[in-house]
Parts: sequence; structure tokens; C-alpha cells
Amino acid sequence: MLEVAGLTAGYGGPNVLEDVSLDVEAGELVGLLGANNAGKSTLINCISGVLRPRAGSIRFLGEDITRAKPSDIVSRGIVQVPEGRQVFPRMSVLDNLLLGGTTAVARPRRADRLEQVFTLFPRLKERRPQYAGTLSGGEQQMLAIGRAMMGGPKLLMLDEPSLGLSPLFVQTIFRALRELNAQGLTILLVEQNLNLTLSCAVRGVVLERGQVALAGTSATLRADPRTRQAYLGL
Amino acid sequence: MTELLIQTVVQGLLVGGGYALVALSLGLTYNVSGIINFAHGDFLTLAMYLALALQTAWALDPYVSTVITFPLLFVSGVALYWFLLRPVARSQLLMVIQLTLGVTFVLQNGILMVFGGQPVRVPSDWEASLLILGDSLFLRTPQVLAFAGSLLLALLLWIVLDHTETGRRIRAVHQNPRAAALMGIDVPRVRTLTFGVGIGIQAIAGALLIPGTPIEPGQGFRYTVIPLMALVMGGLSDFRGIYLAAILIGVTEALGTVFVSGTSGMIVPYALFVLVLLLRPQGLFRRA
Repeated sequence: MLEVAGLTAGYGGPNVLEDVSLDVEAGELVGLLGANNAGKSTLINCISGVLRPRAGSIRFLGEDITRAKPSDIVSRGIVQVPEGRQVFPRMSVLDNLLLGGTTAVARPRRADRLEQVFTLFPRLKERRPQYAGTLSGGEQQMLAIGRAMMGGPKLLMLDEPSLGLSPLFVQTIFRALRELNAQGLTILLVEQNLNLTLSCAVRGVVLERGQVALAGTSATLRADPRTRQAYLGL
Repeated sequence: MTELLIQTVVQGLLVGGGYALVALSLGLTYNVSGIINFAHGDFLTLAMYLALALQTAWALDPYVSTVITFPLLFVSGVALYWFLLRPVARSQLLMVIQLTLGVTFVLQNGILMVFGGQPVRVPSDWEASLLILGDSLFLRTPQVLAFAGSLLLALLLWIVLDHTETGRRIRAVHQNPRAAALMGIDVPRVRTLTFGVGIGIQAIAGALLIPGTPIEPGQGFRYTVIPLMALVMGGLSDFRGIYLAAILIGVTEALGTVFVSGTSGMIVPYALFVLVLLLRPQGLFRRA
């Protein structure tokens, strides 16, 4: 479904990503692991089109999207839940959700999807008229995921959804992700939380200093001591 | 005395309505792009001179010629944002400000070259028309129209920004451009078109402010500074606050001119501005 090949990228300075390749098959939940600054966010920002890669290619559903505009990529079905949630603080929960489905392809199905999101996160339904900025961190994360679901993604990419959340909310969020994946949604999950990610991902890719250090099924990664070493930067 | 007071306050309200027109469009361009366009007032001048040219060439009333000047100003706003501001939008603030100041000089001197430096009046059928309320309140019809226009524009902005999909997108781009892009909103496009509309509104403002007012090429800065004051006093992204601040500036200016001796009366709105900055730096009506 998603094929990333030989991707190299950076922000003005040296390369943050170097020659990274990664495949995601339809229906999979793939964990993208690694310590801080390993290049995980850089990779998914390239996929989302908000950062131009220096070299390499990204293909989605057989088509090249390496130089596509972010809005075009969302319309094609890749939606990102950014790190730090990035909700629109001075807009209602409902407005935030509606914005998630603002593309021409998503708009006709907004009403249905809104119901689906409210079924997934009933809390959001209660908070509908409230400003998103007044929600707790966990609620904002639900909103960010719900907002992304409004775009009708074929591939959902999440950047550190557990960051800064209480254990209870982390559970809620991951239960929702498992549920979405069970319904057939393909998910690329960027996480620092190793055990949690490997517990729900089929496969994992470990990045270390901008390169793929390890890749394999969750079971092999869990057993491999190098996985932990990559985290500690050894 | 009371009569004079009432007449002055009403006059100030009407002038304030004119400022509000320009301040609202400045607010629109600022909020969507994050750039204070110091050439904003010069686009008003440009709109007025275009109206003058159309009046001279085809005897079009300035009110009528907005159907021509609005698209022209819209296109120049789009071009300004797309070709000049967008490429430098990420550079240092001072560079962007210098660029818009540069546009000011180009526009002012361009107008000077074409039309000369003498103040001119654009004749209008409405120029001398008066509305008389009661037996002592005289209102100039064009000013009443300008005030009504400003209210209408405020209403229209409110409807579009708060109750349409386009407005929701504009607000999203204002609040978090990165997240907006990740939602599939074409951020550069929204910014460019909204900026164009903001400049385009200057055509309407120009037509409403023109009757009875002499125009000259160097007037633009005044129409940037006063709306900018309204923008800051109102709280930058609070359109209701910007509107009321513009009205307040108009009223204090009128009161100052009539009741404070000589030119020092012109200081009054600026004193008010300093006071607001000291006491309510977050804006007149905004919660801190």
C-alpha cells in the first residue's frame, strides 16, 4: 500500500533521514520505533508532504506521491495525527471534527463519519460545543484522532499519540487504535513507547540516527537486544 | 453646546465607520497571513485613483466603478501575496515589514508619476447630498453610506468567517497552519485568496470614502496607521473589537478636533491608543 524507498531528508542542515525504506501493506498496523531525534517524525512529515525529501520516492496505492501537495495527499487517503495533537484551540470540538472532513472527497460523507467518531469516542459527543483548547490532553488526543478519521483515511499515521497522557487515556487511545485496525484500517504508528507499540503492531521498524536499524515482526523485535540498544543510543 | 456635542459624536461615528472598513480588511489580511501589510492604506489610495481615472474616462460614478476596481484590487492583492510576500513569509519579521514598506513607496510614487501630486476631488453625484435629522443634525449622505457599508461588511465577515466552510478553513489556517495543511486544506491557496479579498475590499472602502474627500498620493500611510491602531486596540484577531476600536478612534478624533484647541486635538486618539496599550494590552474586549 505504502512504499517508501531510499528516502533522504533534512531541515536545511545535515540529513536527518538517510536512505530509509519502508513498506506498509493494506490492513497492517506497523510500529515506527526509535529514540528521540531518530527521524520518525521527519519520515511521516515527508509522507504527508509537509517536508520535501532530498532524495528517494514515496508511492501510495501504486502512484508516486513524492512531490504531491499535502492537501492532495490527504485527499488520496493518507492522514496524519500530528505530534502534540495540534487541535484548533479556539474552535469548538465539532468545528475541529468538521475541518477533518473538509476536503472535496470527504465532505459528502461528513455526517456519517461524525456518527462513527462519536461511537468511537463518546466523550467527544458530550464536548461538542466546547473550545478544543479547554479539553484535557487525553480528550485532545481523541479529538485529533477523530478529526483525522473524518477525512476517511486509508492509511492513518499517528505521531506519538501516548505522549504526555495519563495511563488511563493511553489505554483508551490504544484500544481505539486496535479497534480501528480490526475494522481494516491500515495504521502507521510512531511511538517511543516500545512495549505498548509492539503489543498491538504486527511489525515494527526501528530507526536509529535517521537510518533503519532493525525491522521485523513484533515478536522478533521484542526478543532482539538490539531493539533496546537502538533506544538507548548505544 | 449639546447640539455641537451630538453633531460631533455623530460625525465621529461616521468617520470611524470609514476607518472600520479599512481596519477590518487589514485585520483579515493580517490574520490569515500573519503579515502586517504596511502598504494596506496605499491600496486604498490606488483604488481611489482608479475610481478617479474611471470617472474621468467614462464618467462612471465611484460607487458604480467598484465592479471594475474590486477585481483589479483583488488581483493585485493576490499577486502581492503570491509573488512577494509568500516567498519571504518565513524570513525575519523585519524583512517582511521592509518589503511591504517598499511596496508603499512603489505605489505612492507610481501614483505620483501618473496622476501628479496635487490633491484632487473625485466628483460624485452624492457629494453635496445631506441628510437632515430633526432640526439641527446634519449628516453627509456619503458618510452615512460609508458607515452603513462598514456595518454591512462587518456582518458579512462575521457570517462568512463563523458560519461557512470557507470561513472555517480561514480560521483553521489562522489558528494552526500546519494542522490545517494536515487536514487537506491548501494553505497557500487560502492565504493568497483571502489576502486578495482583503485588498479587494479596499476598492469598496475607496468608493465609500471618496465623495467629498480630496485625495493625494501620499495619504496612504494615514490609512495604514489608524486602522493598525484599531487592529491593535481591538485585539488583533477579534473583529468585533477591531470594529469598535475604529469607531472609538473616529469619535475621539472628532471630539479632539472640535473641543481641544488647534492641532493638538489630533493627539486625542493617539493618547487613547497609549492608554489602551497600558491598561488592556490584550485588546479592548478580549479576555487576557
